[in-house]
Amino acid sequence: MPLTHPAPVPAATGRAAPVVEVTDLRRRYGDVEAVRGISFEVHPGEVFALLGVNGAGKTSALEVLEGLAPASGGTVRVVGADPVRERAAVRPHLGVLLQTSGLPADLTVRETVAMWAATLTGPRPVEEALAQVDLTGRADVRVRSLSGGERRRLDLTLALLGSPRVIVLDEPTTGLDPESRRTVWALVRQRVAEGAAVVLTTHHLEEAEELADRIAVMRAGRIVLSGTAAEIAATQPATIRFTLPDGAAPLPAVPGAEVVSDGPRVELHTRALQPVLTRLLVEAAERGVVLGGLQARAASLEQAFLAVADGADPS
Amino acid sequence: MTAATVPAPSRPAPSRLRRTLALAGAETRLLLRNRTAVVNSLLLPLFFVALVPLTDIGGEGALGPRLVVTSLGVTLVFLTYYNLVTTFVARREELVLQRMRSGELSGAEVLLGTAVPTLLVTVAQVVLVLAGSAVIGEWAAPVDVVLPLLALLGGTALMTLLAVASTSFTRTPESAQITTLPLVLVATAASGLLYPLDVFPDRVAEVLRFTPVEPVVELARLGLAGQTWDGQAVDWAGAWAAAPQPLLVLGAWIAVAASVSRQVFRWAPRR
Repeated sequence: MPLTHPAPVPAATGRAAPVVEVTDLRRRYGDVEAVRGISFEVHPGEVFALLGVNGAGKTSALEVLEGLAPASGGTVRVVGADPVRERAAVRPHLGVLLQTSGLPADLTVRETVAMWAATLTGPRPVEEALAQVDLTGRADVRVRSLSGGERRRLDLTLALLGSPRVIVLDEPTTGLDPESRRTVWALVRQRVAEGAAVVLTTHHLEEAEELADRIAVMRAGRIVLSGTAAEIAATQPATIRFTLPDGAAPLPAVPGAEVVSDGPRVELHTRALQPVLTRLLVEAAERGVVLGGLQARAASLEQAFLAVADGADPS
Repeated sequence: MTAATVPAPSRPAPSRLRRTLALAGAETRLLLRNRTAVVNSLLLPLFFVALVPLTDIGGEGALGPRLVVTSLGVTLVFLTYYNLVTTFVARREELVLQRMRSGELSGAEVLLGTAVPTLLVTVAQVVLVLAGSAVIGEWAAPVDVVLPLLALLGGTALMTLLAVASTSFTRTPESAQITTLPLVLVATAASGLLYPLDVFPDRVAEVLRFTPVEPVVELARLGLAGQTWDGQAVDWAGAWAAAPQPLLVLGAWIAVAASVSRQVFRWAPRR
């Protein structure tokens, strides 16, 4: 069942202890409260996605998880420790991909990865890391000459170069072509299969549907909707569309459905798609009416997201 | 559900030194790729030394120790301080500092690793002036070597910390030309660097001894030239007898600069 603020986003039961625990997290810049008391947990082997329009507070929340900024209120624990105050203990277990970041432009790709590896506990071999993101052929190219997508893949390589138990990915596939995006997804799935917990933000809803076990949608600093992709989609009504033949009498109202008609074009909105559709088809069959262009579509994550973005209260 | 406790990493973490050297190595590689900067760094101190026989400014006694004192002060202000302000601000605005801090490097390691090439050039320039002075026959044995080394170490530490603090009011690398002026002016005009403090009235000179670069100059001059801040010649014992005040003032400036840096430094551009 989807929950709304301020209850914590539930995690599946019967699993290992959470490696990320966020409780009533707040983040303030002067008079502006960017994060207004959000709570969630993430377990090993799980992907948790934070969605929201620009300015919803996602990156501000992640910066606390990443140990880059202190919380203004609430608590954050990563592998059981405060990522800001106990930074040294948390860091070897944390892989971070920032939304935007820079690298020394005149180092080559290989030099950059080798330098980063020398600062990490238990890094993967440099050549293996480059191969995983298809950068082997660009290893001797300076960072300033990389395309945006290549630079993003280099960022991802650095984030995953250690053996992190918690991976924070802030819009990991922004600027990537579809093929590169799938490479990144495969890499993330591999780390998750190895037991890593992933906290992810993205503007690509299909990415969240593809990767995330649980999703929270933020608006104005609060989590206003959360659950699995299916649970979140289910907060919005399904839609049935058809066109009545010329001269056909309107069909009788179907219980559990809101009808919107525009001449012969009819649209039904319902939270009980199967029974309403069944009833509609039976009525049509009994009256010998052919429903032109009949479409039945369950609600999507995108619909739910847009409803939240528009300011509608989640059901 | 019980929270996880921080597990020990399965493999040993790299030491602080190793992490810092990894970044310092990359930064040094970047410096070496900038051939103009490297050549300028080496030519400038040699040009400084070459001026002595060309302009016949040697005067009485060996000029070398006084030349090294001046070059130390000038290098610390114009190279170490100015260069580090621009480097830190450029790295901050390019989001490189934030990137570096997102890994296992601590904040101090990121700053020190980034500063290493500049600090190496600082030492190299002072050593070149010293060696050049010996080559042109203007060198004399120092009264003490510990005091000049303390001046060099303390001076580089202070300039690095002041550079870190100065980034808080420096928005772009270009604006460092303006924001570094106060320290540059105080150092050149009132620290005994280009002319001795005894040209000022006694009370003014006593106050100027508390400016940040003066104790560095004073310690270096005591050890290398055997001269106090007001121009009196001293031996080894006399140099150490005169050293407590500049050592304390330098230590106090380092403590203040460290405290201010910790409070005002920003890792990312202002939002």
